[in-house]
Amino acid sequence: MRDHYIERANANANSTFVGPARRFTRWDYFSIAFSSLVFVALVCAFLANRFNGLPYVPDFADLGLILAPPGTPQHLLGTDFFGRDLATRLIASVDAYFLPALSAVALSVLLGTLLGLVAGMRGGWSALLARYVCTLVEASPRLLLILFAVTLYQPDIFHIMLIVGLTGFPALATQLQLRIRTLREQSFFDAALASGVSLPRVFITNLLWHHCRPLFLIHASQAMGEAILIETSLSYLGFGVQEPTPSWGNMVQTGSDYLLQGNFWPSTLPALAIAISLLAFYLFADVYERRSREQSRA
Amino acid sequence: MSTPLLTVTELVKSHLPNTRYWSRWNIRTAGRPALDRVSFSIMPGEILGLVGESGSGKTTVGRLVTKLTPSDAGSIWFDGHDITHMPERAFRPLRRHVQMIFQDLDGALNPNMTVRAILREMLKQNFKHTNGETIQTQLNDLLDNVNFPQSKLDVTPLQLSGGEKRRVSIARALACKPQLVIADELTTALDLPIQAQIANLLLDLRDKLGVSFLFISHDLPLVEFISDRIAVMYAGRVVETGSAVVLAQQPRHPYTRLLWNAHAGAVVKEELAATLFADIAQSGCAFAPRCPIFKAKGEPSRCTDPQTEPTLKLIEVRHQVACHFPL
Amino acid sequence: MIGKPHLEIEDLHAYFYSQQHGAFVRSVAGVNLCIRRGETLALIGESGSGKSVTALSALGLLRGSPGVVRGHIRLHTDKGPIELLAGLDRYVDYELDARGSLRISKEISAWERQSRKNFRDIHGKEIASVFQNPRAAFNPYLMVGAQIMENIRLHTPTKLHHEAYDQALFWLESVGLEPAAERFENFPYGLSGGMCQRAMLAMTLAAEPKLVIADEPTTGLDATLRTAMLELLMQMQRNLGFSLLIISHDLQVVRELSQRVAVFYNGVVIEYAPSQTIHNEYDAPRHPYTQALLDAQPVRLSPKPRKLIALRGEIPSPIGEPKGCRFAPRCNRARGTMAKRCENESPPFFSPEPKHAIACWLFANSPEAHAEEIA
Repeated sequence: MRDHYIERANANANSTFVGPARRFTRWDYFSIAFSSLVFVALVCAFLANRFNGLPYVPDFADLGLILAPPGTPQHLLGTDFFGRDLATRLIASVDAYFLPALSAVALSVLLGTLLGLVAGMRGGWSALLARYVCTLVEASPRLLLILFAVTLYQPDIFHIMLIVGLTGFPALATQLQLRIRTLREQSFFDAALASGVSLPRVFITNLLWHHCRPLFLIHASQAMGEAILIETSLSYLGFGVQEPTPSWGNMVQTGSDYLLQGNFWPSTLPALAIAISLLAFYLFADVYERRSREQSRA
Repeated sequence: MSTPLLTVTELVKSHLPNTRYWSRWNIRTAGRPALDRVSFSIMPGEILGLVGESGSGKTTVGRLVTKLTPSDAGSIWFDGHDITHMPERAFRPLRRHVQMIFQDLDGALNPNMTVRAILREMLKQNFKHTNGETIQTQLNDLLDNVNFPQSKLDVTPLQLSGGEKRRVSIARALACKPQLVIADELTTALDLPIQAQIANLLLDLRDKLGVSFLFISHDLPLVEFISDRIAVMYAGRVVETGSAVVLAQQPRHPYTRLLWNAHAGAVVKEELAATLFADIAQSGCAFAPRCPIFKAKGEPSRCTDPQTEPTLKLIEVRHQVACHFPL
Repeated sequence: MIGKPHLEIEDLHAYFYSQQHGAFVRSVAGVNLCIRRGETLALIGESGSGKSVTALSALGLLRGSPGVVRGHIRLHTDKGPIELLAGLDRYVDYELDARGSLRISKEISAWERQSRKNFRDIHGKEIASVFQNPRAAFNPYLMVGAQIMENIRLHTPTKLHHEAYDQALFWLESVGLEPAAERFENFPYGLSGGMCQRAMLAMTLAAEPKLVIADEPTTGLDATLRTAMLELLMQMQRNLGFSLLIISHDLQVVRELSQRVAVFYNGVVIEYAPSQTIHNEYDAPRHPYTQALLDAQPVRLSPKPRKLIALRGEIPSPIGEPKGCRFAPRCNRARGTMAKRCENESPPFFSPEPKHAIACWLFANSPEAHAEEIA
C-alpha cells in the first residue's frame, strides 16, 4: 500500500494557520450527523407528546383496521393487533422513558463526579473507599437488583431508573479519579494553586472543565443508551412500562406474537427504533472518545 | 539599607514530598533531610541565583517558599509577614506576591486551555473587581512585557515552541503583579539564542517592574551572569552565599570551587571521579567525603563531628561560608 | 587510521507531512556529512534544525510520514562499504508538478521492511547510540548487568554465560562503576542519574561498535557530572578508537569532544568548521548564525555587561522551499546592499580557510569549497 503526500501549492511558513488541530474523518462527520438527527427526533417526539402533537390518541383502537400493513393511507406505519396506530405509539413511547432515562443519567453523572472528585482530590483512604464502593456496585447484577425492587414495590419506570442511576456511576467515578490523579501530578496544577486560585476552583475550572468535559459527554451518552436498553428489556419481560401505556419494549413483546403469522411490523418497527436510538447514542460516545484520545495524544 | 523582601532562616524539610518510588532507593539521598537549616534572604529588586547539583533541594526551597509544601521547622518571612505557619486562608492575599515558574516546559501550562484562557484566569483571579476592558488592557501589557505575539493568543500550549511556552509561563506569573518570582530551571532545555532572550527578558522585567527573582538553575555561567548574589546548595544545605562576581571568581567553599572548575574543565581528576559516588556524610559536614581540604588536613574530627557541623559564617562583607577551613 | 571515511551521508532528504498545513516540513533538506575513522564530529544547532533527524536516519530509526525521501548513507565496515539506504528508492516516488507543488508517494511498510533488512547486522554492532535519557534505555525490571550481558551475547562472539558475565564486569569497571559485581546487580532505579548514564555507556560500548552516535549525552546533568562524563567519553574513545557523532547544543561539550563541527540551521548545514573555531576567544571567519550562537553564551567580562546578545526571533518552521539564504530573515548582516542577494539567492559553500566551509554570501570573495572538502 502506498501513502500519498501532496503539497499544497504556495504553502509556506509565513501563511501558517495556527489553530486547534481538528481531525474529523468522514465517518466521524457521518456519526455526528446521524446521532444529532436522532437526538432532534427524540426531542421532537417528547415535545409532541407534551403539546398534543400526536396524530392519534395512542390507545385509540381502529377495530376496522387491525394489523394494517405499513403504507395504509390513514396509518403510515400500519396498525397493531388492536388497530392502534403504530406511528403514534412509537412516538408516545418516547414519553415513557425520556424523562426517567435523563434523570437516571443525571443521577449517575452527579454521583460519579462527586465520588471521583473526592477520591481524586483527597487520595488515601477516601480513594480506597471509593474504589471499594465502585467495585461493589459494579459487581452487583443490575437486572436482578431491578427485578428485586420491582417485586418489592410495583413496576414503575421511575423506580427502575432510580436504580439504573444509582448503579451507573462507577465507570465515571473510576475514570474521573484516575484522570484527576494523573493531572494533579503535573505542575500546572501547582502553578494555579501558587497563584492564589482556591483548591475547589482549580479542580472545577482547570481539571473538570478543561480536561474532563469529553468524559462527561461520553459517559452521559453511553448511560443514556444503557438506560434505554434496560428499560426496553424490562418492558419486554413485562416488568417495565405496563400495557396499555406504549413503550418500545412492550410493543416488541406484544407484537412478537404476530411475527410468525407474517405480520412483522408491530414488533420490528419498535425494535428498529430501539436499535437506531441506541446506535445514535453509542456512535456519539464513540466519536467523542476517539477525539479526546487523539487530543490528549497530540 | 532596605529590609529584605524574603528571609528564610533555618528551614528544615525532613523528607521530600511525593517521592517517586525509585528515589527512595536513591543511594545518595537516602536517610537524609531534603533541606537542612537553609537560610538566605532576597532584597527587593534583587536576583538571587540558587545553584547546586540535582537532588540538592533547590526546587524544594521554591516549593516551601510558595507554601505548596509545608515546612517542618524554621521560618519564612515575606514582606514583613511571618508566613511559616500562616493558614492558607490568611496567606491567600499574599500569594499573588510570591509566584513560581515551574521547571517542566510542558506540564507547567494546562494543555487544554488556550493562552488567553490561562492568562485571563490569572488576571481575573487577582484583580477581582475589574471590568473586562481593564483585563484586556492588562493582558496586552502582559504580552508586551514578555514579547509574546498577539496572534498566538488563541492557541493551546502544545502548539507553541519552547521559548514561547516559557514566555507564557513568565506572563502567567507576572499576571499577579508579584514582588518575588521563583524561576525554577527557566532556561534548561532551551536553545542558546532563546536562552539568551529569556535571560534578557528577566533582566528587563527586573529593571522595569522591580520584581525580585530567585533564579534556580544549574547552568553556572548563566547564573553568574544574571544574578546579583548566588547561594550554593549541597545536599540540602546552603554552603556559600555571596555576590555573584566574587563567589564565582574567588570561591571560599571547596564545593563552590569544584562546581566552577568543573564547568571550566579545570578540575583535578580524583576530585571529579569522587562526584560519581559522592557519599553524603551522615554527620558533620556533608561535603567532607569529597573534600580535598578534609583529606589534606588529615581528616580532622571537626568536620565529621555532628556537634561541630559547619554553619554559615560571615567571613567577608556579604559573603558567608559554611566551612571550617575556607579557602 | 584517521582520514579514511567511516560514515558518509550524501544529499539526505527527510520530510514530514503536516496535515494541518498541507505541506512538507523539510526537516532535513540535502545534508552532506562525512565522519572519518576515529574522529569525532559534532552537530550543533537549535532544536528542530534537523540534527537529530539526521542521526536517526543514520541509525535506521526514523519513522514517520514520509520520513527519509532520498539520499545515500554509506557505511565503511571492515568488509567493505555498505549502502544503508540500498534498494529503498524504488519505494519512493518524488515529483514536482507544473504548479510547483511537490508530490511524494511512499510504500511505508515495504520501505521499513527493506530498511530493517539493511540495518539488521549494523545496528548495535557497527553503529550504536547513546541517548539523552539513560533510564529510558534500560528495562526497569532487569538488573543493569544482565542487560549489558545480553548485549554482549547478542553482538559479540562471546556467547558463553560466564564469559559474558566477566565481560560485563569489565565494562562496568571501565566506565568507573565500582565495585562492578555489586553494580551488576543494581536495578536502573537504584542508580543515580550520573551512574545510570555510565551504565548505559557501558551497555552501548559492550557491543564493541565502530561508530557511536550520542544524542545530547550531557543534557540534564549538572556541571560536575557533565565534566566527568565528557572525560569518560574521551578516555573510552582513546582506548577503543571508535568514531563518534555527537549532537549537542552545549558549545562547550562540542569544543572539548570533537575535532570538527557541522552547524545546522533549519534543515541544512550552513557551516563545516574545525571545532577550535567554535570559541569566543578565537578570531575566525564564521557564519553569522554561528556567531550568534557564540554571542548568546554568557561570558565573564568586567564590568559585567547589562544584557546578553540575543538573536532575534525563533527558529522558523521549515515549511516550504525558501528562496534565498534560510537565515536571512534573522540575520543582522543581510542588510543594505547584501539584502537583495541574501533574500533571493541560496549561498553555496565558500572556503575562507582550509577545512572550513561556510554557506554565506559574506565570504563570496573566498574560493568556493570543493565537494569532497565540504563534508
